[in-house]
Order: sequence, then structure tokens, then C-alpha cells
Amino acid sequence: MQLKNNKHIGIGFRKDFSEELLESTVLKPAFIELAPENWIGMGGYWKKQLDKAAEKFPITCHGLSLSIGSPDDLDLDFLYKIKKFIKHYNVQIYSEHLSYAKCDNAHLYDLLPIPFRKDAVKHIVARIKQVQDILEMPLAIENVSYYTPVAAEMDEATFISEIVNESGCNMLLDVNNVYVNSFNHKYNAKEFITKLPLDKVSYIHMAGHEQISDTVIIDTHGEAVIEKVFELFEYTTALLKPVPVLLERDFNIPELEELQTEITRMETIVSKTWKKEHAIA
Amino acid sequence: MPLLKEETHTQQSRLAEYCKTGVFPELTGVIEDNLHHYRRLVFNIGIDTIETAYPITYRFLPNEIWDKLVYDFYAKHKCQTPQVWRMPLEFYEYCVEKNIQAELNIPFLNDLLYFEWLELEMHTMEDVPYPSFNVNGDSVNDVLALNPEHKLVKFAYPVHILAPTELEGKAGDYFLLMYREKENGRVQCMDVSILYAYILEQLQNGVNIQAILTEADTLFQINNFEMLKEHALIFINDLQQRQFILGSLTS
Ligand SMILES: [Fe+2]
Repeated sequence: MQLKNNKHIGIGFRKDFSEELLESTVLKPAFIELAPENWIGMGGYWKKQLDKAAEKFPITCHGLSLSIGSPDDLDLDFLYKIKKFIKHYNVQIYSEHLSYAKCDNAHLYDLLPIPFRKDAVKHIVARIKQVQDILEMPLAIENVSYYTPVAAEMDEATFISEIVNESGCNMLLDVNNVYVNSFNHKYNAKEFITKLPLDKVSYIHMAGHEQISDTVIIDTHGEAVIEKVFELFEYTTALLKPVPVLLERDFNIPELEELQTEITRMETIVSKTWKKEHAIA
Repeated sequence: MPLLKEETHTQQSRLAEYCKTGVFPELTGVIEDNLHHYRRLVFNIGIDTIETAYPITYRFLPNEIWDKLVYDFYAKHKCQTPQVWRMPLEFYEYCVEKNIQAELNIPFLNDLLYFEWLELEMHTMEDVPYPSFNVNGDSVNDVLALNPEHKLVKFAYPVHILAPTELEGKAGDYFLLMYREKENGRVQCMDVSILYAYILEQLQNGVNIQAILTEADTLFQINNFEMLKEHALIFINDLQQRQFILGSLTS
């Protein structure tokens, strides 16, 4: 994705602040990200907003319902709708969660943890290949927050790496999710990151979360990014080539100034770690 | 041979089923204390989506009845749409299919839910191409071009006019015209009489006003064409002002 003026940080396009964003001189993301599910087949007022946004910003897509880890067959009708949407809005990055949101023919609209198992790897690798063949573009899969493993026979980093390496897909590295999981499952976040297929990372997510007890953090996207996640971000970006970075803020939306402050801070970090003028491929 | 083993599939099914029903599952190697977050997160998304789509019904039904309805829906129904904002339609269809209005003895429940769904549907539905039209035509004898983004619906209760608490004993024939304004996407509602609903239906069918009124004069036993025309033209004029009637259809 070609980003202008050597800026890398984008923001999630939410209906809650779309109007403000379109007119804002305060919030200046390099691109916007949206869930195609929330916009496909929508007309009227929101379609007009989307079209205005598309004129102003490059768009990346982050899917919710493809359910790449589902035992069910892929929903091909839906996938072709995504393909059409991606083409129409000239979307260069399409990512999805490494989780499942549909099972036994029922959508759940949330991200459930896939068992970290050999057979699940094979199953998902085949599905990713199928998706990439149909879309004629790479899929970036995202490491998700999870609150419990289920019937695991390998660790999370191995699970992710095997899937990425065997399928040839890209990776969306969510730095906050790594932090959340390292807290919930008591592992070292930096060590975890070094085990990932970092050469395949094509996109980064940053977000806030909520600690609800001594032992559990919930990935809410409803708070500001915390200091430790910024620190992990700095560590991570130093290991990577330049890629677009997205600030996810889905709930509890603050004044746009606050979002811009977070964006500026990330921009400052990457301008140090990614010193040279790179065109982002 | 499927790549995914039966055993893995079973684990995935059990977790998904738990999120739907809240009945604690038998799972291997989980942090039991954390499982309930999944049920809570999944269920909250479902509840929020339905309550946002049906605010009038939600406020009208007693809490325990609403909660049970939503719980049963989530436990028994398999949501089909990958787009969560379309899911409330499945809730409406579920209520109709299970005849919840008979079960709860609320004879206007289906109408109320449908009305609330329509508001959402009209606001979000895909853009419909406009027909070509001429604004300087003859509005009585030409076939008229209508705003294609509209719905004319019939209700057995005036759910679009009265609050649910006022609907008892109001069974009858009620008609609602809903349309979306082109410029701003705003949805407008218009309560129309049976006569005007008939006129609208015939306009939809491409019949001109002269022919519609000639037929209506007999059909509604008005037997006073000039008076009918005078009234009908006020209605037509209003629809033109609202840009629901765009002009004369040109092919
Ligand atoms: Fe993310």
C-alpha cells in the first residue's frame, strides 16, 4: 500500500465519528480501516459517507465473519461479495482474525479461540489458500486475544507460525493482543514476538484494553493504548520492515485530539525505527 | 477425508454451543474461570444488536419476557447472515415463525417488530437506481415516476402512529408509505388511508392518475369523480413536493 508523506498510521473508520473524521482538521490518519461486513450492501446515508471517506483516504479491510478457523465450509457467496467490495474501493490489504466466529451453521459475531492443534493447522492452511485463490490477493491473518486455550497440543506462536508459513499468507500483528495474551497466559511478550514469522508481517494493529481483574485483561478497543503496549510496539517495529499501522478504537470514542495524539506518538516511534524514506510495499 | 479431526470439531462445537446457550460445556484444557467471558461477549453483542434495532418493543415488553425471548432466540436460532446489522431481521422472522405474539398474547407484536425493522431496512438498504423522468409532464395523464426507494406496507395495528400501550382494540387496516430521501438518505414515514394506498399501489403498477381515479370512483363507491379528483390531486401534489413523485416517466 502506497502511503503519502511517509506516514504510516491509520485509524478504524467508525460510524460513530465518520462525520467528524471527514471534516476534521485535527485527526489526520494516513489511511482508514473498515470491516467490509459493516458496509457491503449498504446504501443511503452511510454509503454516501463511505464514498466520501474513500475519496479522502486509502482503505484497508479487516474482516469479522469469514471465520477462517471454522469447521464449517467457507461461505463463498460472501467471499465473492468481499472480493467485489475490495475491488471497488481499491483495497490493498484484507485481513481476518485467526479465530472462528461461525460454527455448525450459526454465526456468533465474536472471535472464538481455535484449538492449537496439528489438524486445525492443516484445515486452516487449506482454507487460507482457497481464500487467496478466490480473492487473487494475499490474506493477512491476525493473532487474536484469547481468554482460554482449548484442547491445545502446541503453543500459540507455533500455531500461528505454521499456518502463516504453510499457507504463504501474510500476518497482521496485533501488538496489543500479544500484550493481552502475555498477561492472561503469563508469557513473555517480547520472546513471543521473536517466535513469529516477522518477515511475513504486512500490517500492525495497536489498541487499548481493559484489565478487569488481577489475572484477566479483556481486549475491548475501548480505552487509550497503555504505556507498556507503546513500549512493545517500539520493540516490535525495530524488528520489522515498514508496514501500515492501525489504531483500533471501537468504543468509548474520545475527542479526536486524543486519537491524533496517539497517532502522532506512534508516528514518532516509527519515524525513529523506520528511519529511511521507505515506500511501503 | 476432512483435514479437521472429529475431536477438534467437537471441541469447537461445544464452545460455540456454550456461547449460544450459556450451558457449561465439557472442554479439554481450558481455563474454566475464563470461559464465561466468551458467553458474555457473544451474548452481549446479540442483545445490543437486537435492542438497538427494536427499541420500542424492548421498552414495551416487561424485562423478564424480553430477556427470555432474546435468550431463547440466541439459544435456538442459528444466525445465518455474516453481517451482524442484518441479524435483527432474523429475530423478527424467528418471532413470526414461533408465533411469539400468540404465545405472549400481544396481537400487534409482529407488526411492531416489522415496523421497527423496516425503519432500519429503509435507512440501510442498497441504493436503487432512479428511473428517468421529466418534471414538466402531465401529472394526470402520464405514467408517473416514483422514488424507487420506498415501501408501501399494510398493518393490522397502527404501530406506526400509536405507542404500544395504546394499541389494544385498534385492529383494522392501516397503511404506511416509507421512502428514503435521495439527497440526505433520511427515511420519511407517511400514514395513508386505504384509498390513497390504492392510488399508490396503482402508481407502482404504472397506471396513470386519470385511470386510477376512474377505477377508484367505482371501487370505493364514491360516485363523484370530480370531488375525488380534487382531493386526490392535493395528495399527489404533496407527494410531488416531497419528491416522492419525481415527474413523468420517460422511457
Ligand atoms: Fe486487532
